[in-house]
Amino acid sequence: MNDVAPSRYKWVGTRPIRPDGVPKVTGRAMYGADLAMPGTLYGKIVRSPHAHARIRSINIEKAKALPGVKAVITGADFPDHKFEYIGPERVAVNFWHVTRNVMAREKTLYDGHAVAAIAAISKEIAEEAEALIEIDYEVLPHVIDVDDAMAENAPLLFEDMITRGIEPAPTKPSNISKKLEFSIGDVEKGFKEADIVIERDFKTAAVHQGYIEPHATTARMDADGQGEIWASSQGHFVVRALTAKLLEIPVGNLRVTPAEIGGGFGGKTVVYIEPVAALLSKKTGRPVKITMSRDEVFKATGPTSGSSMRVKIGVKKDGKITAAQGTFKFQAGAFPGSPVMNGCLCAFAPYEIENQHTTGYDVVCNRPKSAAYRAPGSPISAFAVESVMDMCAKKIGMDPVDFRLKNAAKAGTPMIYGPKLGHGGYIETLEAVKNHPAWKAPLGPNQGRGVASGYWFNGGGESSATIQVNADGTITVATGSVDVGGSRASMALMAAETFGVDYSQVRAIVADTSSVGYTHVTGGSRVTFATGTAVVDAAKKAIDELRGRAAMIWDVDVEGVVWEDGSARPASSNVGDFKPLSLKELAGKAAATGGPITTAASVNAGGQAPGFATQFCDVEVDPETGKVTILRFVAAQDVGTAIHPSYVEGQIQGGVVQGIGWALSEEYIYNPKGQLDNAGFLDYRCPVASDLPMIEALLIEVPNPTHPYGAKGVGEVNICPPMAAIANAIDNAIGRRLTELPMSPPKIRAALDHQAD
Amino acid sequence: MTTAQVTLTSGFSRRYTGGRREFEIEARTLRDVIRALDKMYPGLGEHLEEETTVAIDGAIHDAPGYFQKLRQGSEVFFIPKLEGG
Repeated sequence: MNDVAPSRYKWVGTRPIRPDGVPKVTGRAMYGADLAMPGTLYGKIVRSPHAHARIRSINIEKAKALPGVKAVITGADFPDHKFEYIGPERVAVNFWHVTRNVMAREKTLYDGHAVAAIAAISKEIAEEAEALIEIDYEVLPHVIDVDDAMAENAPLLFEDMITRGIEPAPTKPSNISKKLEFSIGDVEKGFKEADIVIERDFKTAAVHQGYIEPHATTARMDADGQGEIWASSQGHFVVRALTAKLLEIPVGNLRVTPAEIGGGFGGKTVVYIEPVAALLSKKTGRPVKITMSRDEVFKATGPTSGSSMRVKIGVKKDGKITAAQGTFKFQAGAFPGSPVMNGCLCAFAPYEIENQHTTGYDVVCNRPKSAAYRAPGSPISAFAVESVMDMCAKKIGMDPVDFRLKNAAKAGTPMIYGPKLGHGGYIETLEAVKNHPAWKAPLGPNQGRGVASGYWFNGGGESSATIQVNADGTITVATGSVDVGGSRASMALMAAETFGVDYSQVRAIVADTSSVGYTHVTGGSRVTFATGTAVVDAAKKAIDELRGRAAMIWDVDVEGVVWEDGSARPASSNVGDFKPLSLKELAGKAAATGGPITTAASVNAGGQAPGFATQFCDVEVDPETGKVTILRFVAAQDVGTAIHPSYVEGQIQGGVVQGIGWALSEEYIYNPKGQLDNAGFLDYRCPVASDLPMIEALLIEVPNPTHPYGAKGVGEVNICPPMAAIANAIDNAIGRRLTELPMSPPKIRAALDHQAD
Repeated sequence: MTTAQVTLTSGFSRRYTGGRREFEIEARTLRDVIRALDKMYPGLGEHLEEETTVAIDGAIHDAPGYFQKLRQGSEVFFIPKLEGG
């Protein structure tokens, strides 16, 4: 636990129990699959078993006729959409693609791709109906790996895909959806100035977000065209928008309620089953519930991209980096939209380098469409860059932390995408590692230590909050932000601090789309920053209202009333000799002084500070088996002000653990037919608690001036460094540089069997 | 009146401004910038609002908004919209 510096705040920075704690540990929290409504039908999605196939025909008549089956739908039942790229592709706003991912039309593009759906009175009847659906597939050659997908004569997923971003446009179609380039300075000149240039290739496997709760939804569409959806989602407003768009119904006709969520990490910022459940409900006139099995989650929901990368860094003997270049090829899955752009922009972002060039390729292949995963794209390029950084430091004989300090970005450093960095914070994370007592601790045989850093933009954007001051002086804070990391506690802390009342007086809830203003997804490390700002704004409005009520009671001008320590007080003795009126007292007089005290605020928050993280770990490699044991993991991160330090630590620990799995054991294993062989947690190996030591989170608090309490986003950047930190530690332990993830025992054994680099 | 230095990415400029990336625009707010660019390239305003994130003097704003204030010499970069997880 961090001993954070004594706070100037009474509540912000403390560690009260989260409001969802008791329901969760007693099994009473309502998750998506827990909703039970009379008359609900069982919804089942029928999925293709082929990696790549044309659908010649689908015959659903026998299935429809089975007693107990109430509806069967295919892609043809959904409205089609214009082929048009709008805005941020990775969030799938080419609706021609989105609708085809929700349910296939001309082709199925991955093992598990939805081709039909059934609503029946029971699971057993739905499964029986599935067997009666006759689908004539023309199986096509498939391609999984990104390099294979880019090769000349690779099987094409879309026969008319012409790569965007190349001038003049290619004449031949390929699986490359887009090429991107970013640069500053002159890398050729920079490399010529270097004393040492290191260039290396890297590969990473696709990994799943691995949330413990599968997707689940219940939809009820009524005869008047209105409806309700309950969903496990990071963004119920986005569920509403996407479902409305896909079904071509007005947004206002849908009300979406978020369930408690058992993890999302970005994977639940899009829709899969919600539009299907809604359409089945519309057709049957009854609620329809769909829950994914774990098998379906792995086969048919977005992992993050696998990649093939090349990174080249030039450095002078004194440690100054003169040039940096990266080529990043990311798998998009079945439809365009990998996070390769983020990979290009974040790769060298922790460093002040005059000459940089990054190239990215977004490549489709026969696997599920990629979805956001915790700092999407940045961890992937960070693995390559931070590995080469380590190799450079070793080559010039410089301590790897000092090497990074020599080149560290700070406020004013030009970024590869143009602007100058607006906030610092990185240097402090390096110094925290350097000053950590374990950084110089001795190591034993087969043990090694590695360090790496990472960067993530963090998000802002649209958020809303509503505050009600209840008649007994308790306060309800409703926001539109699904709580993935303890944000209800943080919202309540910020409200309590602003009002000057006890935390126990404040209850924070997550409201549905009809009960609070528009709020963008819980993701991008934006909630404490953006939604927190909305909460504070709403609280300040409520305080103004309370001052007005006190002024009315005292019969004075509102300018003569101040708010301090949870009470209205006369601004000076000139105003009058009045005893303070507490929030509770004023709340009790609400009806007499004008009615309920309710305020709302909506923001489009901007000016957020980015996230920087530096981490080091100690590992032990078993030379016989190739198993890597993590002995120690220290993660330093600039968090701004830690509103609730326990949950900030939790975010850091969580990101590190996911990074450890990404580094050592997680990957998709496909058979020669392109079908997923390890669609379950037994064979898709995430770290569990018994695999790991305590992750030590170091909270560096450099307050953010653009947030009322100084908060910075914390949820994501911590997943950027672990893979390279571990690779660097393994190299330190056994003198072998592993460049392919996961660094599983067979790969370590193979590396040990070869000569050292 | 304040003047802002406005830059687009090469991809965006290729698509919408015939390759021109840099502009000096008299503007007090981002709204003024968007309006000025839309006047030079009709329709560009909507693309900027829908498809970009904007960085003003290094501070990133997820979506360009009319209200963001500029100072003399403000550096404004329109970059592709950023997304998290």
